[in-house]
Amino acid sequence: MSDRFLETLSHLRVYALDKPCEIAIFYHEEASALMRFANSAVSLNTTEHLIRLEITAFYGPRRASYEMITDLSEPAELRDGIDIAAEMVKHVQPLTYTPTVPEFRESFCDEAAYDPALAELSGADKLAVFNAATTGLETEAIQLSGIFSNGANTIAQITTRSPHTQVFRTSDAQVTMVLAHSNKKWEVQAEQSAQQLLDLDPQALREELGFLVERFTHDPAQQLPLGRYDIVFGPAATATLISFMNWIAVNGGMMKRGYACLDEAQIGEQVLSPEFTLADDPNRRETYPQRRDYMGLPRTPFPFFEEGIFKGFAWTQDDADEFGAEPTGHTVAHKSLSLSGGGEDVGTLRALAFVPRDGDLLYIPFLHYMNVVNPTQSLVTGSSRFGALLLKRDGSIVTPYNVRLTQRILDIFGDRLAWLSQQTVPYNTSSSYGARNPTAVIVPRFMRVNDLSISHSNPTF
Amino acid sequence: MLDQIKAHLDRLRASGATYVDCRWVPSEDANALTMWNGNLKQAASSRQSGVGIRVLFQGAWGFSAASDLSDLGIVFDRALENARIAAERVTFPVRLAEKDSVQDTFISPCAVDPFEVPLAEKVAFLELLDASLNQRGVQQRMSTLDFIRKQVHFADSEGSEIGKQIIEVFAHIGVRGVDPEGTAHERTFRLGRRGATRGWESLDLDHFRENAERIVSELNQVLQAETCPVDDRSVILLPGIMFLQTHETIGHPLELDRILGYELAFAGGSFVTLQDFGELRYGSERLTARADATLPNSPGSFGYDDDGVPAEDNLLIDRGILVGAITGRQMVEEANAKAQRIIFPESSGANRATAFYRVPIERMTNINIDPGCDGTLDDIVARTERGIILDGDRSWSIGSNREQFHFACEIGWLVEDGRVIDVVKNATYKDDTLRFWNALSAVGDASTWEVVYVENCGKGQPNQVMQLGHGIPVCRFDDVRIGE
Repeated sequence: MSDRFLETLSHLRVYALDKPCEIAIFYHEEASALMRFANSAVSLNTTEHLIRLEITAFYGPRRASYEMITDLSEPAELRDGIDIAAEMVKHVQPLTYTPTVPEFRESFCDEAAYDPALAELSGADKLAVFNAATTGLETEAIQLSGIFSNGANTIAQITTRSPHTQVFRTSDAQVTMVLAHSNKKWEVQAEQSAQQLLDLDPQALREELGFLVERFTHDPAQQLPLGRYDIVFGPAATATLISFMNWIAVNGGMMKRGYACLDEAQIGEQVLSPEFTLADDPNRRETYPQRRDYMGLPRTPFPFFEEGIFKGFAWTQDDADEFGAEPTGHTVAHKSLSLSGGGEDVGTLRALAFVPRDGDLLYIPFLHYMNVVNPTQSLVTGSSRFGALLLKRDGSIVTPYNVRLTQRILDIFGDRLAWLSQQTVPYNTSSSYGARNPTAVIVPRFMRVNDLSISHSNPTF
Repeated sequence: MLDQIKAHLDRLRASGATYVDCRWVPSEDANALTMWNGNLKQAASSRQSGVGIRVLFQGAWGFSAASDLSDLGIVFDRALENARIAAERVTFPVRLAEKDSVQDTFISPCAVDPFEVPLAEKVAFLELLDASLNQRGVQQRMSTLDFIRKQVHFADSEGSEIGKQIIEVFAHIGVRGVDPEGTAHERTFRLGRRGATRGWESLDLDHFRENAERIVSELNQVLQAETCPVDDRSVILLPGIMFLQTHETIGHPLELDRILGYELAFAGGSFVTLQDFGELRYGSERLTARADATLPNSPGSFGYDDDGVPAEDNLLIDRGILVGAITGRQMVEEANAKAQRIIFPESSGANRATAFYRVPIERMTNINIDPGCDGTLDDIVARTERGIILDGDRSWSIGSNREQFHFACEIGWLVEDGRVIDVVKNATYKDDTLRFWNALSAVGDASTWEVVYVENCGKGQPNQVMQLGHGIPVCRFDDVRIGE
């Protein structure tokens, strides 16, 4: 790895030592590439190389920050950033608490989740993956959309507290393929998350897309009656629900601010199904983990729920400072959430479709535009999308129009949870708003939840 | 720098590119201040600069962006190379609608540049906002100020050169409390358009204090209120939720790239088809909607879009009939060709990028609904038998083709026989989009019309956040399911 940026950070630290305040410098470099498909063509092919520098100044209970998207060849501009942050902190109002300044007692470099072969995958290689996964599936009416996003992230930190640095480097890819019927309006999807080149498997994408296209081409379509259903969620839907848990259930700061469905009195209590074990596990390379947090705290597996028993909240350093809690190593851009698999041996959609069943099962792979209706009640709402199937008791399959679910997450993961599949997969939940922040959640391939109500049912695709 | 850019535009054209443009952003400054329960949780400033290059080669787009401008040629070359690879899989070669070559500048209206206001003065203003919210019943109080100042130079291979300087000011206050059952509730206020300019001068403390009193009072009413019943009623939407209804179920479904399938892998499609233009009854005769990028003093008014097309006032729905869309140069050509008729005679100038490192896509401008003839809010309430007045966006969830939706609001007031009777909490409503707009039974007059600013509309892959506005009146819709 080039150490140019580390030299730059060291020089900036020396410059910052002359300031009357403490300074923390956060470096973020992304090399991002995205090939986007629409209407069976490449609709956009982009590359971005961006360097961000965030400088935070601390002066007792005062804190201010200045961020630049910048160019390392302009040292004067970088030093200006330190001057601006140091000037800002003089004028801000003191907090009611004293924020902790990051302090690194040793240098730390983690490149275990970096694979240059994935990060530097060429445009031609990406096109080849798409072509291999969709061969023979596209027609004049059935057209391909999707993205192949890949890139590398480098994060580095230094503060005036010590000359030690922290460096994290990851590679990531997110592949989404959608086949949609331009007239009938149905759409099916297959996705993959990759941390290394070997994670990419075009044949598995081809298999899932082929199975779904066959269903939507040949099986009857239907508007589902409103009512209660036993639902099997796919990895995208489960990962979305887990991401909402991360937001409104296990975040200590959100709990203190009245935007959470769990409270401190519930620690140690059975609040979810015994099937439900959720941890933040930075040993899972598929989640682009950070094994130290941005304060320098080592990150080890942190249980949130063990067999349904709530084990505790995640506390960032700032929330811990404000509310008098112990930080838990969660001052990171993303956690490494992992929901443990269960006892059901169902590893593929084809296997799910043909497994014997005692009643109808509604398969919902994806929940579109989910939002929180009421955080205290864990009430969320969202619509099915991308290839839902009604697996009839008699073994036949119907392709239902999309439906809306409005449910409490604590019910979904509580006594309604019937089973989780043994097999788990990483589901990529990265958002590309702002700086690149590759994120994935490990979830069981399938999760069955009984007796959920459908509150709206579309009359067409 | 501009001379270098023009030289590279010419060089890429000579290398086979059919079109090239460059957005050079010498500086984009932002300043965000957040106060939470008296703590200045965020005091952040930022600056970014760089270039974004878009190249059209054999009917395919390539894009490249960089903050490092030490070798501008590499950034241009990378964009061309990206386009060459994309050209290997083309089904409908990109064509761009005609436009005039323009040399011009646009400066958004601003009296006092917020970046010239000392930080201490901004913090003092936030402290006053926070103090105004610190009242009985309030457990959490939030105040935010966001300022943006961006300078953009656009140049393309068709000879356009456009300079833009845009200043935005966004401000928001909110309060949160907990009801006797332990459920949290929130009431918020966001600054909309006031006056002719949008600088520091638009932050009127008295206006915020009035609204602080109102939202605290309303929060305390919600905390004591009964839960919204499950029922079918007329819903009367105040601007604090009407803007979002318009945004999600008129704005997004009428983005032409969505209609043509360009967002299918992520944000979704649209229930609207090309055959619907000129035919589809989108709403009742009371509904006239427009994308008006010429509305003075709004984030949705920007002079020229990032295709270099001038801002337009573009009719979308004319007395209930769908007639227009939110368009850019590429999509109107493709839509007309696919429809085999001229639906869109030209681009409506709505192709925008959030930053130099993102590619322009169709974005809302100011998606407005014309005021109607049904009088004031009081007039509408007086003519409502069984209804509910709703305000404040608490949550929103919309189907992938924008065909149905579910919204939760911060507050509701039940209406019986033309009179407001009770405040209710946990108010929600849901419907199918077309049924809902066709149930539009009253549109308030100009006294009810407000321009609400939106600072965080998200769309696209890679994702982009955009600023825009909605000019909307109070509206009533009949027979809507509430309380689910």
